[in-house]
Amino acid sequence: MTPLIQLTGITKTLTGQEQDRTILAGVDLTLHAGESVAVLGRSGSGKSTLLSLIGLFDRADGGTYLLGDKDITRLPERRAAALRSAGFGFVFQRFFLLKHLTAVQNVSMALVNGQGWLPRRKRKARAMAALDQLGIAHLAKHKPPRLSGGEQQRVAIARALVREPRILLADEPTGALDTETGNLVVDALRATTERGCGLVLVTHDRDHAARMSRVLHLADGVLSPAEVRA
Amino acid sequence: MMRLSGRLRSSLIIGGQGIRARKLRTLLSMLSLFLGVLAVVTVQAGSVIAERAMLSDIEMTTGKDGTLQVFLPSSPESGPVAMDTVRGRPDAVAMTNAQAVIGEPDVRPVNEGGGPIDDAGGGYDTGVARYCDPSGTCSVVADDPDAAPQPRGQAIELTLQGLSGDIRQFRPFRLESGQWLDFGSAPSLAPRIVLNTKAAEAFRQVRVPAQMRLPGAVADPTPRIVGVVEDGGWAPAAYVRSDELLTWMPVGAMADPEFGGVQLMMSPGAADLEQILRSRLTAAGANMDEFQVQPIDSREQMADQLSLLRWIFLGMAALVLLIGVAGILNVGLATVGERIEEFALRRAVGTPRLLLAGIVLAETLLTGLLTAVLAIGTGVVGLKGASWLLGGREPFLANVGFPWQAGVAGVVAGILAGVLGGLIPAVRAARIPIATVMRA
Repeated sequence: MTPLIQLTGITKTLTGQEQDRTILAGVDLTLHAGESVAVLGRSGSGKSTLLSLIGLFDRADGGTYLLGDKDITRLPERRAAALRSAGFGFVFQRFFLLKHLTAVQNVSMALVNGQGWLPRRKRKARAMAALDQLGIAHLAKHKPPRLSGGEQQRVAIARALVREPRILLADEPTGALDTETGNLVVDALRATTERGCGLVLVTHDRDHAARMSRVLHLADGVLSPAEVRA
Repeated sequence: MMRLSGRLRSSLIIGGQGIRARKLRTLLSMLSLFLGVLAVVTVQAGSVIAERAMLSDIEMTTGKDGTLQVFLPSSPESGPVAMDTVRGRPDAVAMTNAQAVIGEPDVRPVNEGGGPIDDAGGGYDTGVARYCDPSGTCSVVADDPDAAPQPRGQAIELTLQGLSGDIRQFRPFRLESGQWLDFGSAPSLAPRIVLNTKAAEAFRQVRVPAQMRLPGAVADPTPRIVGVVEDGGWAPAAYVRSDELLTWMPVGAMADPEFGGVQLMMSPGAADLEQILRSRLTAAGANMDEFQVQPIDSREQMADQLSLLRWIFLGMAALVLLIGVAGILNVGLATVGERIEEFALRRAVGTPRLLLAGIVLAETLLTGLLTAVLAIGTGVVGLKGASWLLGGREPFLANVGFPWQAGVAGVVAGILAGVLGGLIPAVRAARIPIATVMRA
């Protein structure tokens, strides 16, 4: 079966004022549909950089990036934006909800991105379905300041899922939450893999990592399998 | 097309959300822009109203744009030939000019020479000494230095224009009171005259028995004043049907060459009339070197007078508008700075850079348009107020409508300010890296 994504020999060097710093020095990663991968590593090890390359926020210096069977290593920004919209969902440590919008509006904002057009009623229906999937449909009309951290993160996950992505990228999504709420969020993320979505979770929490299909460790710019105990 | 429509709608929706979310900032932007757009609206409205007023004045005094003005030779044949040629033609009017004195018999008019009347009821000294014979007919003294001067009395001298038809199709006089000459009815023995406002003013100050002395008339008729018009003239004048004058004087005497002789006004389409006149006057032995045809260029005259002023005022308005643009730019840059994370997030969910720029531009454009609507509304209300307050004193403000050109100028100024003020913030928003949300 063709993997969702396949990264081979990915390199990335950040240009600094004094000297260049190699963040990724030949990363190989394969993700299949319904598979969840946790990436562990120290702060500054390049986990977020790896995620930004997978999510097409940035471009690798070297290596090959296949999405399905398409080589997207050198994708122009315009096409990258279209792919981000069609294929990827993102969850961040900070929720980045827009304070002036309600929960349902925050979710449907991902549908108003210039990549196709949905009428208002359809947008709302899809946003409500995504919220319902996360069990927070009753909070649809609440604005972010009235929601708890866990609820806000679930709204953010609903926003990531509303376009029905094939790949979900989560960058320390439980970093700002307590253990119990964090577990709820990880449950929600794992549930997406049951519907065939591939999940890459960047985390410091080994317990959360242990709940994924595979756990990888990023050190010295290279990914390697890691052993964690749940 | 569908993609463009989707992006346009998206930018308008998100732009509208942005405006609603930052009402105070939007209001501040609008405030800074309001004066600029209002200045543009005011200058445009003012210039259009001034143009209308000036064009109306020019048309009253010289004639409508494109009208052909024909000056006939100062020979005795011109009057009869002109009257005969234009008879029954709706596209041309013959005008004869003569000086008439209306008032007491055997006296010199208070405004000898036909000049305007001052506030005290006397005439301004025109520097022309005149002699009035016992029949009341006056002529320039220089022609008869031995003649005895007459006492000054209750009489007014004015220019009497005999008309073969309704001149208002070429010179749109404004009826002030009464009615205009009726060319459809049978001629009256007592000539019906319509005064201009200067003559009406003179008759208000100097109340005189109505006896009209005409040079060359067989007797002094009693005129009937039927109306008053504004003709844009500076001196007393009156208008009368030529055929009613013909009862009292021969056609050859109607046109006094000293005061303009015979003139014709005709529509541009009446070219055949010019040929007929030329042929008939040549046959009558008139000096055709004096035959002149002049098209009236009232719009050109007006444009010459207004263009410089308009550019000066538009320049000033543009400066005020520029300050408004700087205000939008300032608020726009601050807003983009505050919304870095939002824009980065939007890019992360697939919003193209171009749409991000479009969102910022849509916000500033909507702000500019809202401001334009507000400024135009203020202009409409202001003009209504000015018309209500000053309409009685200033005729050009009475019942004046808001010029659509000012509305268009306001909308264009609003859009222009929105685009100019939003351009740099839009470019900045489009350049925000997505990694901002990863490193936050």
